[in-house]
Amino acid sequence: MKPKIGIFGLSGCWGEQIVILNCEDQLLDIVGATDIVDFLGGSSVNDKDSPLAIAFVEGSVANEREERQLRRIRERAGLVVACGTCACFGGVAAMDAEQPREQVICQVYGSGGPAAAWDVRPHRPLADFVKVDVAIPGCPMEKTDFLRAIASLLNGDIPQLPAYPVCLECKMNESDCLLISRGLPCAGSVTAAGCGARCPGYNVVCIGCRGPVEECNIASLQKILEEKELKAAEIQRKLRTFAAPAVDRMKGGGLA
Amino acid sequence: MTRTISIDHLARVEGHGGIQVVIEGGQVSKVEFDVFEGIRLLEGLVRGRSLEDVTGIVSRICAICSHGHSITSLQAIENALEIEVTPQTRKLRDLAYQGASIESHALHVFFLALPDLLGLPSAISLAASNPKAVGTALRLKKLGNTIQETIGGRAVHPVNYVIGGFGKVPSTDQLLTLEKDLTAGLADGWSAIEILRGIEVPDFVCAPVRCAALVPDGDAFFFGNSMVLSDGLAHETIPVRDYRSLTNEYLLPHSHAKRSAHDQRSYMVGALARLTLHGNRIKGLARDAWQALRLALPSTNILMNNIAQAVEMVYSIEHALHLVQDLLRTGLAPESPPAYQVRACRGAAATEVPRGTLFYSYEFDAQGRVAAADVITPTAQNLNHIEDQLREAVQQGAEAGASDPELQQRSAMIARAYDPCISCSVHLIRS
Repeated sequence: MKPKIGIFGLSGCWGEQIVILNCEDQLLDIVGATDIVDFLGGSSVNDKDSPLAIAFVEGSVANEREERQLRRIRERAGLVVACGTCACFGGVAAMDAEQPREQVICQVYGSGGPAAAWDVRPHRPLADFVKVDVAIPGCPMEKTDFLRAIASLLNGDIPQLPAYPVCLECKMNESDCLLISRGLPCAGSVTAAGCGARCPGYNVVCIGCRGPVEECNIASLQKILEEKELKAAEIQRKLRTFAAPAVDRMKGGGLA
Repeated sequence: MTRTISIDHLARVEGHGGIQVVIEGGQVSKVEFDVFEGIRLLEGLVRGRSLEDVTGIVSRICAICSHGHSITSLQAIENALEIEVTPQTRKLRDLAYQGASIESHALHVFFLALPDLLGLPSAISLAASNPKAVGTALRLKKLGNTIQETIGGRAVHPVNYVIGGFGKVPSTDQLLTLEKDLTAGLADGWSAIEILRGIEVPDFVCAPVRCAALVPDGDAFFFGNSMVLSDGLAHETIPVRDYRSLTNEYLLPHSHAKRSAHDQRSYMVGALARLTLHGNRIKGLARDAWQALRLALPSTNILMNNIAQAVEMVYSIEHALHLVQDLLRTGLAPESPPAYQVRACRGAAATEVPRGTLFYSYEFDAQGRVAAADVITPTAQNLNHIEDQLREAVQQGAEAGASDPELQQRSAMIARAYDPCISCSVHLIRS
């Protein structure tokens, strides 16, 4: 019997489901090797109850409804794979706001009216609620990371993801260093690799969309950026864009 | 007797939404297309961010429309800073939009909508019954993604678009590859039309469609500076900078007060609206596709939006090929983005993304930080129209004696016909 899998989206941009659907050359193999029983984004008939070998979950947890949905997925699934930066780190919706959330909601939706009663907590990553077995970061996750993960998991292995920063891949590409030689605020030194240092290859700074790499030295990057006359507040905003909760939790290496 | 047609969680759409229609004494008394996607407040969260950073954040509003969000955001910033982009940049952006159109329409027509027309639950079951259709659709999807990757650096959340141009201009070799892919794509595009021409689009709803779309700028079908709104009788043209006079009354569709300010009727944006208003621009193979699919416009059947998308998909393959050949003929200049000075300013822009017109406006302070951001997505504009069409479809179906499951299926098809992107729309509507 083929392993049953589910693909789920919590709050986000649907990016990881699009990445999965973008595996045009492998999609039919995936359909052949697995039994996709619960995938609301792709099918109007879904098995919402049977146990799952693997649950792929994208998006962040935005409200109680999603928290319940996630706990239910965890109960059903042998393995829970957090797909993308929102699921792994909270993503852009977990970003620090200049003002309290109540004020932000008034700016976006107007004051008064039904908006005042909405559940507007900052978004949180899956691991704040349930055990996550595999985390594939990236905004969006890389196609290759997803394919490697599903191939490994179907063969009984836990996939390995890079534990080194984007800088390493950038050096291997022999790209010009945007931070040192051009003085641009590149986050490659503190961001987890796996993207092939795509952005610097386009002369565009890394904005940290894959979240912080293990044991990164954010304080040191902050010092370099301050020497380049970037204001501390601006640096904090940049580094907290995709993974605010994780960055804030880092002991010592985190931001002042 | 009260009947309730209810869909808790609509399948095969991007994002989380549901439908509820109530019929009392034979009359539809309530229609709600409900959105319960978590609120992300991105327009609020970008306040205080620099104009260099903002585009990379707002692109995350939506994955499938991320190229459109990025480029429209940049055009609003360029409008504010009074930056004029080069003809090469305009052509490359136009090319990226064709990629988005091919990819998004192939996904929607074949994977999200076609199963309905064939009575199947999903494209997975379609793969078993019609592997040729799925193979063709996958190749077209891949073609659209290849174009987006070549120009934008990544299929979802592009990285190469910057203020005034590109981080890196694509190479001649990359364009030559695209030329080859697009030439093969023309045959796939036509195969897609051949597959669709044998399929009957049901006509269980008959209601006029009031259309709005940008007036195309030259042969750039998805770009323009003014909007036209038409119900077939009266035309109204609105400059993009005054977009609020078009969209404002629809900001909070379910709030108690704001449904209508000066105009009580909804409108629709998207492929059907574009072809209804500016279909005379469609020539060549796309025109042949239009005829092969017997698309008669204006239509009173909203499901024809799926057919309009298929025609646009062929248009986009052809137009992309023309753009690539044109760029190869003139040669690519290694242009760097222009320098600019930040200052207090404001700007707006709109483009036609696959699902319809997307509006962006920004206000920046003297340091170039976002003081206000406003994003109005196609789906947010379409919500009122979706509800009006649901009302008509259920009313007409109930009068003709349709059963609850039939009305449920029809309601899902109506909503899906718009290709709603709920992730996109969520920052505008209630949870």
